[in-house]
Amino acid sequence: MTVKKDHYRWAARSFVAPGVLLVAVVLYLPLLWTVFLSFTSYDGLSSPKWIGAANYLQMFQDPDFLNSMSNTLLWVVGTLVVPVGLGLVLALLTFNLKGGVWLRLPFLIPYGISGIGVGLIWSFVLQNNGALDQALHFFGVVDNPRWLLDAPLNTVVMIVAAAWQGVGVNALLFSIGLQSIPKEPLEAARLDGARGFRLFGSILWPMLRPLTTVVIGLSIVASLKTFDIVLGMTKGGPGRVSETLALTMYKDTFVNSQYGLGSAIAVFLTVVTLLAAILYLREQLSKKNEF
Amino acid sequence: MTSRITRTSILVFFGLVWLLPVYLLVINANKSPQAYNSNESWIPSGTSLISNMVNAWRLSNLGDSVLSSLIYSIVSPLIAVLVGAAVGFAIVALRMKHGFWWFVFVFGGTVFPLQMVLLPLFDGYSRMGLFDTHTGMIIVYTAISIPFSAFVMRNFFTGIAHSVFEAAVIDGASTWWIFLRVYLPMAVSALVAIFILQATFIWNDLLLGLTLSQSDNVRPVVTTLSGMQSTYGGAQLSTVLAAGILVSLPTVTLFMFTQKFFSRGLALGQY
Repeated sequence: MTVKKDHYRWAARSFVAPGVLLVAVVLYLPLLWTVFLSFTSYDGLSSPKWIGAANYLQMFQDPDFLNSMSNTLLWVVGTLVVPVGLGLVLALLTFNLKGGVWLRLPFLIPYGISGIGVGLIWSFVLQNNGALDQALHFFGVVDNPRWLLDAPLNTVVMIVAAAWQGVGVNALLFSIGLQSIPKEPLEAARLDGARGFRLFGSILWPMLRPLTTVVIGLSIVASLKTFDIVLGMTKGGPGRVSETLALTMYKDTFVNSQYGLGSAIAVFLTVVTLLAAILYLREQLSKKNEF
Repeated sequence: MTSRITRTSILVFFGLVWLLPVYLLVINANKSPQAYNSNESWIPSGTSLISNMVNAWRLSNLGDSVLSSLIYSIVSPLIAVLVGAAVGFAIVALRMKHGFWWFVFVFGGTVFPLQMVLLPLFDGYSRMGLFDTHTGMIIVYTAISIPFSAFVMRNFFTGIAHSVFEAAVIDGASTWWIFLRVYLPMAVSALVAIFILQATFIWNDLLLGLTLSQSDNVRPVVTTLSGMQSTYGGAQLSTVLAAGILVSLPTVTLFMFTQKFFSRGLALGQY
């Protein structure tokens, strides 16, 4: 017996309906409304007034926005170099290592902690005369920078905090990738005398490439959304110097009640995120688009 | 093998460095607020962890938030897992027409940043009386969990031979029966993996809690922690740090004990 395509048309529709409806009403409808609001002047009380691209023009002339944009760029680059790079190194170090699972554990603990939790810990460590300063004093370093108050240093140290949180999960992803590499070419290369960097360069790295694309794509998308850690550590300050786009959008909308401008920032952020997401979506969907 | 020893020692060294912030968190959350000396962050003293946690539980009604977050992170993923599985079932087992595009539609809900929906949700929730309610929070957490759940379940069901479905049809089973009694039981491991991942995500959420709730008994726990940090940060730092441990303990523990599920979930294509 062969099941004819479309035989279960109505059954299928009833099965997808709850998911499609919830996603449509709670996610897509608001999304379209945000796009509309980004072209209006709106304060939440009177109805939105169409003002064309004025919000976007204002946005690109706003020094706070431009600063937030460069901070976000720093986040993207920083989280690529530190957590992704270090995650790969950790995965390679634990690869085929006895007890590797246990040695990876300390790096995985922070991943279970929320962004605010991470921010709480690290602002405690980095505050003036905090734990880090005390440690440096102990070793004779006295002229410490003000970690959380000076830009762009505060963004850099927050990236370190984010790396502390995220490195373990990247290591886990890379480890899964390494374990799925077929044993035969590895053994053959080993017999041919390939060790260390040569083994990595000629066998492991090429085979990890597809996964690396996914990890990098995920990392970029996640860093573009950076919000919790910054709110937890500097609240975007002092002033607005350490804001990221996600935080600038939140503040302009819910603190300054500039709904149109906030929506325009959200749209901008989304466009950039989508461009980055294509990187890993292509990789994800191309493998499985048999339907 | 020497490289084995070198690798192990490098990992142990960095592992210890990685645990330093956790060490600082724990010893300082253990200090009594009265004897707290902000210049001795590295030196353990006192045994006040439990009493600090009890104080934190009362402060800002953290207890209420814990209860709310518990509800959100159980109910929402539970619904999302079933709804997502139904989507996967329709596309894979029932071979829905244009199934791939329906899947792309549902999965697409996870691609853009939440910032894109915050304001209309806030606006709409306020008008419909859903703002600052448990129902409102459950709805939004469910909706954002569905795309990932549909993604994993579609992949999972693709691995089940279609002859399983056809055999059940020949036995005269209805589609609902096949879904509930054949496909779901086979997918328990994937369902649990999604549930745990989404529960962790919801427990750790800040942004939606910040935007869509306000009162102590609706606000999720991380949002409350964030508020406590700004309100009590200076005077009762050890209490706030204890609150941080209290809030983080469930997800860290869950994550530690279910690493296998997590890695399987990740391999199945998390995010």
